[in-house]
Amino acid sequence: MRNKDTASAEAEIVFEKKRERRRLLAGLPFERKIEIIVELQKAAAAIRKDPRHMVWPL
Amino acid sequence: MENALIVVKEMMQSGIIGPIAIGGGIAATYYIEPVLTYDLDIFFIPIEDGLDVLGPIYRYVGKRGFPLQAEAIMIEGFPVQFIPAYNELVREAVWNAVDLEYRSVKAPVVRAEYLAAIAVQTGRSKDRERVARLLEGEVVNRSVFDEILKKHGLSEKWRKIEGISHEK
Repeated sequence: MRNKDTASAEAEIVFEKKRERRRLLAGLPFERKIEIIVELQKAAAAIRKDPRHMVWPL
Repeated sequence: MENALIVVKEMMQSGIIGPIAIGGGIAATYYIEPVLTYDLDIFFIPIEDGLDVLGPIYRYVGKRGFPLQAEAIMIEGFPVQFIPAYNELVREAVWNAVDLEYRSVKAPVVRAEYLAAIAVQTGRSKDRERVARLLEGEVVNRSVFDEILKKHGLSEKWRKIEGISHEK
């Protein structure tokens, strides 16, 4: 049976990987970040179309 | 977005609106990881104070044929939301904006410290998340941020938000 310390350490590894990914994304050129926003908008539209939320025409 | 920024700058240069600064999700994206957003939020200082600060904008975009879509104006096909600087903190944020560059256009953007302070002031859960991300991203000068909070009476509110964050 895993103890709490092991679970906590494993969770911290996961959280650190997420932080690292955010750091990498933050370091991208601004123009690329805007392109990623458009990708996020397309992904959201694929799940549910909302007329109030249009995908940007870049 | 490039063409929309050009038009917004033309509006400023033509005296339709005063100084501007990009805020909201696009401003946050400039500093940290991309955030899902759908509008270009433009804080602006009105040329004249009064009840109808958006009037000159609507008249201008009407003449240029830019349609409205909900709260946004579709400028060159891009949704732009004009937000009059509604208190001293936001006005100060506009005056202290820095330039960002997007393709061939330079435009003012709210500094990270002011973006975080405005988020503290607004206080929704997504704003608290934004402050956390800005601080985690180490893009906020903490002493400048603390000074801004102190000046605008937000230090206590920030302490409460920090307290909630540490409890999680």
